[in-house]
Amino acid sequence: MKSFRILILFMLCTLNQLVAQKKVRYDLYVRDTLVNFAGKEKHAYAVNGQIPMPELHFTEGDTAEIFIHNELRTETSIHWHGLIIPNEQDGVPYLTTAPIKAKTTHLYKFPIVQSGTYWYHSHTKLQEQSGMYGAFIIHKRNAPPMKEYTLILSDWTNMKPFEVHRRLHMANDWSAIKKAKIQKGAVQSYGDAIAAGSLKTKFTNEWKRMLAMDVSDVYYDKFLSNGKPEIEAPQFKAGDKVRVRIINGSSSTYFWLNYAGGQMEVAASDGMDVVPVPVDRMIIAVAETYDVLLTIPEDSVAYEFLATSEDRIRNTSLWLGRGTKQLASPLKPLKYFDGMKMMNDMMKMNGNLDDMGMNMSLQQMDMNVVMYPEITGEKEEKKDHDHDSRLDNDRYNSNALSDIVTLNYAMLKSPVKTTLPAGPTRVLNFTLSGNMNRYVWSIDNKTVSETDKILIKKGENIRIVLYNNSMMRHPMHLHGHFFRIVNGYGDYSPLKNVLDIMPMETDTIEFAATESGDWFFHCHILYHMMSGMGRIFSYENSPPNPQLPNPEKAIKKLYKDDREFHFMVQNDFASNGNDGEMMYMNTRYNLQAEWRLGYNDMHGYEVETHFGRYIGKMQWLFPYVGIDYRYRKMGIDEVEKNIFGQKNTKDIRQALCFGVQYTLPLLIVADARFDTDGKLRLSLMREDIPLTKRLRLNFMGNSDLEYMAGFKYVLDKNFSLSAHYDSDMGLGGGFTFTY
Amino acid sequence: MKNWKIKITTLLAAIGLVSVSTLQAQNKNVVKETYKVSGNCGMCKKTIETAATKKASDAEWSEEKKELKVSYDPGKTNADEILKAVAYSGYDNEKYFAPQAAYSKLPDCCQYERSAKALASNKNAYNKTDKEQSPGSQQEKVALESVYALYFSVKDALVKTDANTASSKSKELMNALSMVKMESLNADQHKVFMKYVSNLKTDAVSIGESKDISKQREHFTTLSQNMYEVMKGIKPSYTVYLDHCPMFNDGKGANWVSKESAIKNPYYGSQMMTCGKISETSK
Repeated sequence: MKSFRILILFMLCTLNQLVAQKKVRYDLYVRDTLVNFAGKEKHAYAVNGQIPMPELHFTEGDTAEIFIHNELRTETSIHWHGLIIPNEQDGVPYLTTAPIKAKTTHLYKFPIVQSGTYWYHSHTKLQEQSGMYGAFIIHKRNAPPMKEYTLILSDWTNMKPFEVHRRLHMANDWSAIKKAKIQKGAVQSYGDAIAAGSLKTKFTNEWKRMLAMDVSDVYYDKFLSNGKPEIEAPQFKAGDKVRVRIINGSSSTYFWLNYAGGQMEVAASDGMDVVPVPVDRMIIAVAETYDVLLTIPEDSVAYEFLATSEDRIRNTSLWLGRGTKQLASPLKPLKYFDGMKMMNDMMKMNGNLDDMGMNMSLQQMDMNVVMYPEITGEKEEKKDHDHDSRLDNDRYNSNALSDIVTLNYAMLKSPVKTTLPAGPTRVLNFTLSGNMNRYVWSIDNKTVSETDKILIKKGENIRIVLYNNSMMRHPMHLHGHFFRIVNGYGDYSPLKNVLDIMPMETDTIEFAATESGDWFFHCHILYHMMSGMGRIFSYENSPPNPQLPNPEKAIKKLYKDDREFHFMVQNDFASNGNDGEMMYMNTRYNLQAEWRLGYNDMHGYEVETHFGRYIGKMQWLFPYVGIDYRYRKMGIDEVEKNIFGQKNTKDIRQALCFGVQYTLPLLIVADARFDTDGKLRLSLMREDIPLTKRLRLNFMGNSDLEYMAGFKYVLDKNFSLSAHYDSDMGLGGGFTFTY
Repeated sequence: MKNWKIKITTLLAAIGLVSVSTLQAQNKNVVKETYKVSGNCGMCKKTIETAATKKASDAEWSEEKKELKVSYDPGKTNADEILKAVAYSGYDNEKYFAPQAAYSKLPDCCQYERSAKALASNKNAYNKTDKEQSPGSQQEKVALESVYALYFSVKDALVKTDANTASSKSKELMNALSMVKMESLNADQHKVFMKYVSNLKTDAVSIGESKDISKQREHFTTLSQNMYEVMKGIKPSYTVYLDHCPMFNDGKGANWVSKESAIKNPYYGSQMMTCGKISETSK
């Protein structure tokens, strides 16, 4: 009997061991923390006490058991980026997985069915920006040992992510002013334009209703390699070929990569192997991963692997090897006005883009090439394009314009066949749309919450034709599936889960619908996603998801993200009175209030409130209803007259009004309205014309013969000095507070 | 009155003390250090010092000793930042080697002799004209490695439409062809090499003697064809591609050999950089 028991015990043990070999458990503790990445202590999220989150390692065939212990006071979530997993493990809160509530633990458990370089991050609000990203490495079974190194790149801002997001919606150019401290001309003001001899370019740009644009619109204080500005990997020796697994865990930064030790051999992308291709430089989009093979040429030298933000404001490096540091060639500043001129050529007056018949796709033509000194020369280009012999076809092809080899998607080839299984094919056409001025990002001019889920059937092949009609590039990510990029390699088209699509490009991707449940397809720039740029694919007849007992209620929570209202207020405390405005707005609606408060009854008190909706893709049209209130004491027999001959003698006036605003070329806002007193008013105004880096000009005039013109000098993100002349209140000076 | 005087003297003394202590504090905050920095002329001195003072408060470079004396406030910067700035301006130093591009940009008189280590470290860098394999490097396993490397240098020069470099590299190619060690070739390889070597030399000499880019390109067509035949017989340690440009020579077309799969056309350079396609691959 006793021996029988021992036998059972023994069997249990071995069984346990067998299972234990395959199960890999991690415990992750999410906590609030204070970090100092860029000179100031700031709030962030640390997992197991570190940023980035710990590097997780698995082998193909393992079962992952990951316990998330949420020690925050708010909820969180973890999404396993690029992994093929059961739908309820995907980690999009309220869509596939229950949110991890404050002070609770959530178990993710799923089989590992693939290998390669992946990552994981929070999919809740803006948490990813504050440190919730980490590497997820899956090793091949029985792979020959190879030297490797994991590098996760990220961006850090001292500003709260919530603030970053709010300011983007306000078209606030504080981040350009910060950039201008490092790189002259980043504000692209009229003054900068004159200095660069590009005044006409700047004028045309504003004529076409564009604000100064950059390749990225957030100012970051630091860029990080594995959580540090610079990191060293001294373990490598001469002759070593190192597989560097690069993950772009940034919230909104693309990085240019180059290596001091020679060419880089690109060996995998988004976890999937590609036929190795040597390149001199490459860009890694937000959320992409690339494996590159780097050779260490010499001993006693450390070679720089340099990652430079796309706007070239800052960089971060990894040093491979030990010894004297061999610098990589730094990337020279962008030629902003060449870029602006290029945008002018391509922007039609109606806000659509015109590719001038170039059929752009797969990153082969990069219009930004006009701004890259290493490709198009150091000077701002002023030559006459009509006499350029290599016009059109190769004008934006960096591989054609220089002897430097730049990676693009047309160069990626899968080593194995990736043909989709036989099945009916459905074609979906998506146009990526955006509005820079109000920071609205959408697909076919609709946000996630404004559309229904797209129903798909298991067994179908889905082909998506994407056209980017917006002015920025977008890294489009599909959850839970790999798609093929149709890039001319036929059966060997590469598999990816992130597609970077540049303005005016048309790309085709396709995937086999083999799963079930709901899957997110969205732009991975955090602030674009939160503004609504995405769609949900939903498998028909999916079994109910145990994580979401009430899916209708849950999805409303997800929709809330892009319906969020943003608040902004500004007041000028001047010697002659207060002028101010307030806005509370989201994708389509805006509640505005404007006031002018004098210091005595003669000057009067005036408040106008509007509520309206933006119409059209570019949102230039804004009809509204509103309430006016005014009190002012006028002298006896004094009569106010407007240009239509209408008179007004009332000291106290309350009226309902109806009106419409329209943004004219040069970003001048025209406003026409009439009120319940029968009065008509027309006005023209323009705010914040950038004269120099910090000097702004405002003006306004209306048919009541009121007018105003003033200057503002931006001191910091909240305060400006101001001076203006107002027809009612006269000359005044003071300071303006902006939130 | 006396009281006043005392007060004033104490006040003056106090001011004196304060100023002395701030002076000392300032002195304490300045570090003086000396670092090895390469360079070779008066113009170098100016560039080095300008670069260093972007970060340092004071910098002086001695041409004789190849040493840079710097003073800086450790609260504001550090030696790494200063020497990095110096390296970015083109000058190797004990902490950083300059990027190849920065070195090549220096005026001729400033192109100091780089240390063996810096030279070796830079040989694979961005600047492709300097991408040749120096003899004795690790890849010298194949007898014709330096011949091949020089062929690629000639090709890269033609890609850049740089007749001077094409000519000088071609002269070097001629020398390298004469110096190939026959004893390191096996019988088959020997046969291949002997079959093509005289034609290779003829074209190498012609390109070397000419400064006319169109003449050079004409000779490059036969040079490339023969070179590819040799490479098929005596394989280099890397993959090579035979690329074809259908337009050159009035539509007769021409070939060239490349180490990269990306097309960079040596027959037209920037006029038609990506014209052409891979017609054969040899591994």
